[in-house]
Amino acid sequence: MVTMGNKHRNYPLPEYIKRLQTGGALLSDTPENLLEVVGILKSYGIVLDAYSKNLIYIANEQFLVFFPFFKYFNGEISFAKLLRHWWHDRINFEYAEYCMKSMMWHGGGGLDIYLDTKEFQDRAQAVIAAKFKNNPLILGLNQLFPDFLTEQLRVYTYYTGLGQFWRVMSDIFLSLSDLYDKGEIKSIPQVVDHIKEGLVVNAINPVTYAVKIRGKVYEIIPKSVGLTFLADTAVPYVEAVFFRGTPFPGNISYNAQAYQVPPDQTRFQYGALYADPLPIGSAGIPPTLLMQDMRHYLPEYLHRIYRQSRRGEDDLRVQICMSFQKSMFCVTTATILGLMPYPLDTQDPSEERANQIYLGKWMERLKTSELLNVDK
Amino acid sequence: MLSLLIFIPLLGALLVGFWPTSINGKLPQWLALSCASLGLLWTLVLAIQFNLGQTSQQFAESWPWINSIGLNYNLSIDGISLPLLMLNALLTCVAIYSTDPSLQRSRFYYSLILVLTAGVNGAFIAQDLLLFFLFYELELIPLYLLIAIWGGAKRGYAATKFLIYTAISGVLILASFLSIVWLSGAKNFAITSLHSTSLPLTTQLLLLGGILIGFGIKIPLVPFHTWLPDAHVEASTPVSVLLAGVLLKLGTYGLLRFGMNLLPAAWNYLAPWLATWAVISVVYGLSCAIAQTDMKKMVAYSSIGHMGYVLLGAAASTPLSILGTVMQMISHGLISALLFLLVGVVYKKAGSRDLEVLRGLLNPERGVPVIGSLMVIGVMASAGTPGMVGFISEFIIFRGSFPVFPVQTLLCMLGTGLTAVYFLILVNRAFFGRLSAQVLNMPRVYASDRAPAIILAVLIVILGIQPAWLVRWSEPTITAMVGDWGRGNSSNPHPLVPNPQHPTPFIGELANGNYGK
Repeated sequence: MVTMGNKHRNYPLPEYIKRLQTGGALLSDTPENLLEVVGILKSYGIVLDAYSKNLIYIANEQFLVFFPFFKYFNGEISFAKLLRHWWHDRINFEYAEYCMKSMMWHGGGGLDIYLDTKEFQDRAQAVIAAKFKNNPLILGLNQLFPDFLTEQLRVYTYYTGLGQFWRVMSDIFLSLSDLYDKGEIKSIPQVVDHIKEGLVVNAINPVTYAVKIRGKVYEIIPKSVGLTFLADTAVPYVEAVFFRGTPFPGNISYNAQAYQVPPDQTRFQYGALYADPLPIGSAGIPPTLLMQDMRHYLPEYLHRIYRQSRRGEDDLRVQICMSFQKSMFCVTTATILGLMPYPLDTQDPSEERANQIYLGKWMERLKTSELLNVDK
Repeated sequence: MLSLLIFIPLLGALLVGFWPTSINGKLPQWLALSCASLGLLWTLVLAIQFNLGQTSQQFAESWPWINSIGLNYNLSIDGISLPLLMLNALLTCVAIYSTDPSLQRSRFYYSLILVLTAGVNGAFIAQDLLLFFLFYELELIPLYLLIAIWGGAKRGYAATKFLIYTAISGVLILASFLSIVWLSGAKNFAITSLHSTSLPLTTQLLLLGGILIGFGIKIPLVPFHTWLPDAHVEASTPVSVLLAGVLLKLGTYGLLRFGMNLLPAAWNYLAPWLATWAVISVVYGLSCAIAQTDMKKMVAYSSIGHMGYVLLGAAASTPLSILGTVMQMISHGLISALLFLLVGVVYKKAGSRDLEVLRGLLNPERGVPVIGSLMVIGVMASAGTPGMVGFISEFIIFRGSFPVFPVQTLLCMLGTGLTAVYFLILVNRAFFGRLSAQVLNMPRVYASDRAPAIILAVLIVILGIQPAWLVRWSEPTITAMVGDWGRGNSSNPHPLVPNPQHPTPFIGELANGNYGK
């Protein structure tokens, strides 16, 4: 027992370990936090819905299109929509692609493993052969460079994987907002429970991918592969987007040659939980796109609070980002609790110790995150 | 007509200061702004009616005042004073508009600003030495009070220092003016009745010495400059705008009008030394600017350096260089006013002007990105970037001065590089990088904070692209003035230094490609 106590003290953020063990969340349970988290998750849910539809549309309809000029139009091309696109008064689907590429680059989970299997390659070749049946030039090039189109199909599997993941998350967040509006969500732990429940309910949803070419369906990820929502999309997504991310040019210049960027991807800490909210609004950085999208769908009760802040709407996107980080710590809490090795209320000392070590390792990762800043 | 330029702001000052009932809130500001706008409107009317082809003085008004001492109320304008009047009218509006509406004792404040404007206008249009001096002294009192009452923590020290320096300046100028009149045997102080060119060179040199030091303090030139950084640092933003934008120009205007014009032989004799003095002023002022960590002090030292260009152009005394001095007065007025306005906004929002503290102010959400962008425009203009009015004025001065003083001109050109150095330091430190923790929660910047700076920035760019719109007012006057000056100088029976036998290209010739043919 003494040893266990020492271990407890050796992990960072012990107060957060304690909070999680006692049914709390990483984010403090205050009315302000609750309002911010639910409000921002509502707008995020709407945005995720749009992202999800577009990702799935691209995967299903734009696969192996070399110049997908209208990939963000979801098949509805009109001059008015084109003008709106050029005016940039639209959802920034580029952010979804940034997350998709981040997931693909960091890998992890069953999807990543499956994409390197012989089965996938065979299925991919079948799709390529069908798609370019009447195009000997491309088929010839495919013979010369067989990895190119296969790799493209790997990208489209991530399009659909993330699209399917966000489909579920969008519904979870929007239903959370509905429950809050009905007065049924009154605390941050309830928010966490709702998300956790959503993750658990959908945990074994199959992740599949099939495309239709000239009326024939080609399965790229069949159900038989056994990819599921939680293990093969949710966890890799949290790892890739919440934790690792990619170093994008903001107000900090990263010099990889000077080892300012870790050579080991697993040590990356550029994800959403670590992001400095201050550069938000700068051109060319992906989070700006997300905050820009969310600002269109803020519920009035949250928008009013932002307007009443010191800078009003001048720093709206930074305020959205800070609320967003709070909400992501709730999602992270749900993930942490959902993946606990043993029940929180276990009385078995060895299980307690395992839980303690598990939480301690999470805190090791979170000690450099924005947790302490958003949870002031 | 010209008297209105004096009486509109004076009446405005009386109106704001002695309004019978209590007026609070924004009303005093709007009253003062209305008077200043009326003054600006009237200046524009005069500009429209100004005959560009006429080289002599225009809109002359002459009234006898105190005959016993030879003081007459003589007013008129020419192509040198008109642009300065427009600058004064514009910057007065900007200064009043930029004043914090919650200012204490605002009625007194706005009255003083309007009296200041009246004094400056009077000095620019006075055609009588004593009348000029009266207006020159008139503006000192409100400026002293504006710094002493509404200044920063060390306002008492700065205001007193300013008063002592400028009082000495006034004494020297008055002594020189009285001597010119008495020694030349003129019956009164009217500029047209003076025959100072007939004075012996030694006498002219003595008189010019007084004028040089007197106006050199006002400009200010090194080593008479030490009052300026203190005054700027302690003065409120609108006062700094007027001080740098207009009041310093009284010194350069005085040098041109009374130093060069009335005592040409002595001016010609001292010209190489004046050009060297300009180099010292430019290099010293701008080098000091590099060493500053207070943004306002940096801009203040920058002013000292850039005023040195005016002395260089005046020393060279070619039509082109003189035109450059007038252009530099206007361009420096606009640019320094813009920079002080922007520094003022930064200070108001961030609570600091310290370059060790400020960082990342260009942050798009939490910083002051528009102010930062305007600052970049301002520093580019100040550093003489082509396409902005600062480039035009500096280029004309250098082009006009180089044939006469090539070494001094080249050394002064180093100043543009130095300007780029310290302004890059300023912009890089304060505006780039991550927003520093001390300024994370700045209050929001409103359109009203940006509006005056945007107006000035637009003018700086427009006049940089279309400099003819500024040159056209002054060119004929300067042609005639330099012509008269040359004749007056050659009439000197004992010229110690001959007139520089250099070509004196004029901007029209340069533009037409005729120069050198």
